[in-house]
Amino acid sequence: MFVLSLVLAAAMWELYKAVGPETGGKVLGMRVLPKAEDRAMPHVWEMFQRFGRAEVRSSKDTVLEAVVSGAWYSFRIALAGLALGTAVGFGLAVLMARFRVVERGLLPWLVVSQTVPLIALAPLVASWGGKLHIGGFTWQRWMSASIIAAFLAFFPMAVGALRGLSSPPPAALELMDSYAAPWRSTLFKLRIPAALPYLVPAFRLAANAAVAGTVIAEISAGVRGGIGRLILEYMREATGDPAKVYTAVFGAAAVGLLMAGLVAVVEMTATRHLRKEEFA
Amino acid sequence: MTEIAVPTGQVGAAAAAVEARGAAMTFNAGRPNEVIALAPIDLTVAPGELVSLIGPSGCGKSTLLRLIANLLEPTDGSLLINGKPASQARLDGDYGMAFQQAGLFDWRTVSRNIELPLEIKGWDRTRRRARALEMLELVRLCDFADHHPWELSGGMQQRVAIARALSFEPKLLLMDEPFGALDEMTREHMQTELGRIRAATGAAVIFVTHSIPEAVFLSDRVAVMSARPGRIEAVIDVALGERTELTRGDPLFFKHVTEVREALRAGHGVGGGMEDR
Repeated sequence: MFVLSLVLAAAMWELYKAVGPETGGKVLGMRVLPKAEDRAMPHVWEMFQRFGRAEVRSSKDTVLEAVVSGAWYSFRIALAGLALGTAVGFGLAVLMARFRVVERGLLPWLVVSQTVPLIALAPLVASWGGKLHIGGFTWQRWMSASIIAAFLAFFPMAVGALRGLSSPPPAALELMDSYAAPWRSTLFKLRIPAALPYLVPAFRLAANAAVAGTVIAEISAGVRGGIGRLILEYMREATGDPAKVYTAVFGAAAVGLLMAGLVAVVEMTATRHLRKEEFA
Repeated sequence: MTEIAVPTGQVGAAAAAVEARGAAMTFNAGRPNEVIALAPIDLTVAPGELVSLIGPSGCGKSTLLRLIANLLEPTDGSLLINGKPASQARLDGDYGMAFQQAGLFDWRTVSRNIELPLEIKGWDRTRRRARALEMLELVRLCDFADHHPWELSGGMQQRVAIARALSFEPKLLLMDEPFGALDEMTREHMQTELGRIRAATGAAVIFVTHSIPEAVFLSDRVAVMSARPGRIEAVIDVALGERTELTRGDPLFFKHVTEVREALRAGHGVGGGMEDR
């Protein structure tokens, strides 16, 4: 089905190229339809042909190799960011579930944190990181991108996990109280298992956020080697080589797909023993 | 079993299962939304005795159960469970509890649900497993040890909940409308089952219910409560001897049902809000 929809999308693209106005459509003086000319909308087969040719005239690497290595680099950054974001988000959720005071004090800050424009934040993180030296540890540029990815990923995790951890009904909590269960037992035997149906969609959102965060961070913090940087570089060549930038966009999509696949695997292992209907 | 006169405050085998003296509960004391949930209550439950708490909604019967369970602290008076303060009794696992919703954990199998309190109390695996099987035998669900709760009917789930509550052999079982969500046939079956389980374990039971026949059928004594503020209006001794299915047709059974109903009306003004089944 997915392949079919891909073919359909390509067909739509070509159909628009065939019938769409070369110079773009205007309604009441406002341009609403994109230009159908080759420079703005290259043919789908040109995009794929571009994968096979050299990245730049002087190099022997093809665009495909450049995009694949960039995508793999970005994927690893996003993965590190997702891991960090998940850990921090879950940790914050446990703290908030444990202490009502923390929830009331912290939750508004978490919401505010997500309104900070990433474009502004990314160079800051990069420059702070660059000044950081702890013993033999030196800050790598990719870490800045991971931090930004984590900054986006932790939020859905924290909110989802908090909802999940607070989801057990009062009767279940009373039951644990009646056993004089310490808070830790209640956490591991009741709250975390009960939170699983909430953690799964939260993790999915966090994974998407980590990928988006990585690409944006690579662009705005100037991290080299990843797909975000390729998009930026290829965009500059778009007038002369319009198909090239789309190869990088496909690369970014591939990172997202790879992440989605990974999330699906994690979900399946995490919910294997759970009732099926809950995840229908 | 009629009430055995037990000297108050005596520790040991002869101590009352529950002894409430002037136990009272006021929510939001001193604030505009103050609610007197329970006026001072005196109630003694002998070891092995079953006492029902019956009354209209809001009469504080669930509150009284939660005071006994030490899930709430009384604002006045004292509560002794097996001769110990309620807080100590909770720590010692002196009582088990069952609610209207079975409240089994979906992610655990039936036998692991029964093991839950044992895990918390630090029993080792083999002992837990053995006890869970014993309890399954007691509630006649041996074939379902490795099933998940959602594969069981409501009545079976409630039996698992009772097995869980009794797994660590408490001397007292607190039940908050445990059969309230079951259909009539299952409910009567569960009442008979509870009688059998009680005979096997010798646990005292405090049983909160809305149903007059259920209270009469199960109880040694029925405590009739009334609302605003919650208090015990009357305590009715039920002398029906050993209960069988024939008990439900016994003229003496109906006499007690009438007795309880009249006590409820007396404390309530009207008989509304009560189930007659």
